Amino acid sequence: MTSLKVFVIARLLLVIPTILLLVSLVFFIMRVMPGDPVIAIVGMKAPPERVLELRKALGLVDESGNPIPLPIQYLNYLANLFRGDFGRSLIWGKRPVLVEIMEHLPATIELAIAGFLVSIILGVALGTLGGWKGGKTNSAVKIYSAITYALFIPWIGMMFQLLFAVWLKVLPVGGRIDPGLEPPMITGLYLLDSILTGRWDSFVSALRHIILPSLTLGLVISGIFSRVARTSVEEVMRQDFVIAARARGIPEHRLVIHVLRNAFIPIMTMMGLQLALLMTGAILTETTFSWPGMGTFLFERIEYRDYTTVQGTVVFFAIIISLINLVVDILYAYIDPRIRY
Amino acid sequence: MVEESIMGANERRKLTRREALSTAGKVAAGVIVAGIAGGVAGYFAGSATAPTTTVTETRRETIATTIISTKTVTVSPTVTAPPPVVGKECIVKLRPGLYFADGTPLTAHDVVRSIDRVAKIEGDPAWFVLDFLDDWKALDDNTVKFTLKEPVAFFPALLAVPTYFPVHPAYKPDEIDSDQTAGGAGPHKIIKWTRDVELVLESNPYWFAGMPKTKQVIVKFYKDATALRMALEAGEVDIAWRTLRPTDIQDLKKKEGIEVLEAPGGAIRYIVFNMHIPPFDDPRVRKALAAALDRKAICEKVYLGTYEPLYSMVPMGMWSHKDSFKEKYGDRNLELARKLLEEAGYSSSNKLKIELWYTPTHYGDTEVDVATMIKQQWEEIGMVEVELKSAEWTTYLDYTRNRMLGASLYGWYPDYIDPDDYTSPFVNEAGRWLGNAYVSEELGKLLVEARTKTSIEERTTLYERIQDIWAEDAVIVPFAQGKLEIAYRKGIKGVVLDPTLLLRYWLIYKEEGGRIADRIIIGVTDKVTDLDPANAYDFFTWEILNNIMTGMMRYIPGTTELEFGLAASYSLV
Repeated sequence: MTSLKVFVIARLLLVIPTILLLVSLVFFIMRVMPGDPVIAIVGMKAPPERVLELRKALGLVDESGNPIPLPIQYLNYLANLFRGDFGRSLIWGKRPVLVEIMEHLPATIELAIAGFLVSIILGVALGTLGGWKGGKTNSAVKIYSAITYALFIPWIGMMFQLLFAVWLKVLPVGGRIDPGLEPPMITGLYLLDSILTGRWDSFVSALRHIILPSLTLGLVISGIFSRVARTSVEEVMRQDFVIAARARGIPEHRLVIHVLRNAFIPIMTMMGLQLALLMTGAILTETTFSWPGMGTFLFERIEYRDYTTVQGTVVFFAIIISLINLVVDILYAYIDPRIRY
Repeated sequence: MVEESIMGANERRKLTRREALSTAGKVAAGVIVAGIAGGVAGYFAGSATAPTTTVTETRRETIATTIISTKTVTVSPTVTAPPPVVGKECIVKLRPGLYFADGTPLTAHDVVRSIDRVAKIEGDPAWFVLDFLDDWKALDDNTVKFTLKEPVAFFPALLAVPTYFPVHPAYKPDEIDSDQTAGGAGPHKIIKWTRDVELVLESNPYWFAGMPKTKQVIVKFYKDATALRMALEAGEVDIAWRTLRPTDIQDLKKKEGIEVLEAPGGAIRYIVFNMHIPPFDDPRVRKALAAALDRKAICEKVYLGTYEPLYSMVPMGMWSHKDSFKEKYGDRNLELARKLLEEAGYSSSNKLKIELWYTPTHYGDTEVDVATMIKQQWEEIGMVEVELKSAEWTTYLDYTRNRMLGASLYGWYPDYIDPDDYTSPFVNEAGRWLGNAYVSEELGKLLVEARTKTSIEERTTLYERIQDIWAEDAVIVPFAQGKLEIAYRKGIKGVVLDPTLLLRYWLIYKEEGGRIADRIIIGVTDKVTDLDPANAYDFFTWEILNNIMTGMMRYIPGTTELEFGLAASYSLV
């Protein structure tokens, strides 16, 4: 068996305890929180039978109304999860949590991709420029990294809204698309769906709506990329092969490709890590721009104390992030064979 | 004698509180005496106790022009005087020729089917049906008979609650149908519904009261009040509705091209002193603290004018409201507070030491400021030391139910528009959710009596007495009433607000270049929780339901008065 295959199998096996630990943490944290979630949901005036009904729905009591011990609740929860059953929402029609997640996921994926592209383009380009040029440019990029990383998403988002929407009136304040312009659903990603269906008015509207949120999210994350890219390029620039290449008179535009290839491994590692941050950043960005994705969905359900949905969504996030990290690790091992040993 | 006045909807909302009080007093809680459609005879509470009776008949001559015609006529009472207390049977006759939004005929059987659903599903608002009704059945295609468990004078007000709205047959018969868009027989129909994103409504051509002025109404959902405010300024929405922050409202009032409309709302705030927990078991302590409250300061400094001082549990603008606390304690009476505390054995060297509890987020982020200001006001007596304590909502509820909080801050939104809803749920067994803070045999008897009397005059007298006892006992002390605030761009007409908390989209239109626009966009931060009336139980969702469905009864815009909706007549015997 090749070393890469062994690595992949080992890494896959490691995902199982990771997810189990995350799921257990979420389960127990939700149950040790103070207050009675059932009363919080049904309100103070609810009759006892309604309270009992909800306790049953939450798996807190059995059919006769007797409390179910916590370990049994936990095993029941794991068994349901294993069957792909994330439970049902406690509010608004009690829809399956997974269905609700799937309705909101495409918006977050679209925003995450756009924000990620912005952050990579800005971060890698500026970082490379700083590391390559050195001197004042390098200092300027350092300052850029520090400032953008420290930016608070709702604040910078609001500034963009004020400038581009309220004062200049060139971009919308929030939302994902103008009313009535939603393209037919294929992937749920409006930009892609509007291209696939040839709805150019929808494409323009979706593009106008995604510019500010993706710029906000991308700008904040670009600070990390620019920092990593800058230090990485600086390090590679000091290596012998660069000095030798310059001595041989290799043109700079060709040299930069070789430098970037060598500097790319730490940048890629950072990309994997930032995907998790992108998800949490999306919560703030989505709330600021009324973007109907997972972030706003989770935020809203926390407000409504929809415990099963919050629990299901957090677990879903945990699983997705574990899987993303798995893919990044595998890619990393593929690019740099030293990782496998 | 016939007096007729025609006024635009915008003028109508300018009714002063006194006017609102006087008009509301005439016919609130279901006191329209004669059938509107076809002159079918029927009566509501108070209809026939006087030799002649005032009838307020509100007709929309043409909904398209949003003109409301109010005709006041003097008529003779019904031939037979009704019994002094309401009976247990209620007969509702529907208007002839009613249809759902897709043209399906609506009959009494649909009313019964819809209420059957509510009873089967047993969602949160099912108590509106199950607590009040023993039986409901269709006598024929146009007649529904309700049998009440106990006689209640405000039953017509319950018929205006969405839980009683007839829904389209497409709704699942025995389970919640949260995203069902078939609606009912309202002014609008849903043509698109994307949860948390937008709700697109179009005029319902089959609505019994004509066509709304604006063809399409879009409700756009924002996650954040700041984004909503900016969307209004940027012209992305025409109207910014529930819920802008007080600071945004203050700013928007100064902006050109934006108008802000305010009206008394139905939400109230109050302090609960649990009369079973010392030192609040001593009425002198409770009265002293009630007397030391400076409501104006709280409303102006903390709520920035978005709340008004309230001196009774029954809110301003509702019939029978009386400023009982003001009459008893004045605006603020520190001398009286000191005197009462001295009588109770306290002094500046032997201070009354109490805890005041609040919950930090449930009533908005101003709550800590409200609690701090009340603490300061009480400590200004010079004999009181207050320790502020807080707990998150779930814990707060636990503590309250378990009688662990001596003094705590609470708020109330009405379930139905009647003084009963602002009084009964707080007292004796109904008030168990407050840890049975307020127990009073006398009040209990009066509340039962007030529920069952037919005469509005008698009910008013009883509620005034109840409010006086409330102030005398000072167990639950009201201090503020929320205002409704809405901001819209110039050119928007027909916006009407009132304590029912409902915005009627069918009255709203936008003038654009000398013509009426085909579309208006309303921005909100609230959620539509459930399009199924069997499970919907929050005011914004009820507003949407009121725009896509109609009840047998409904409120006259700008008032708390009832008028016939799908019903043509009503009788309670």
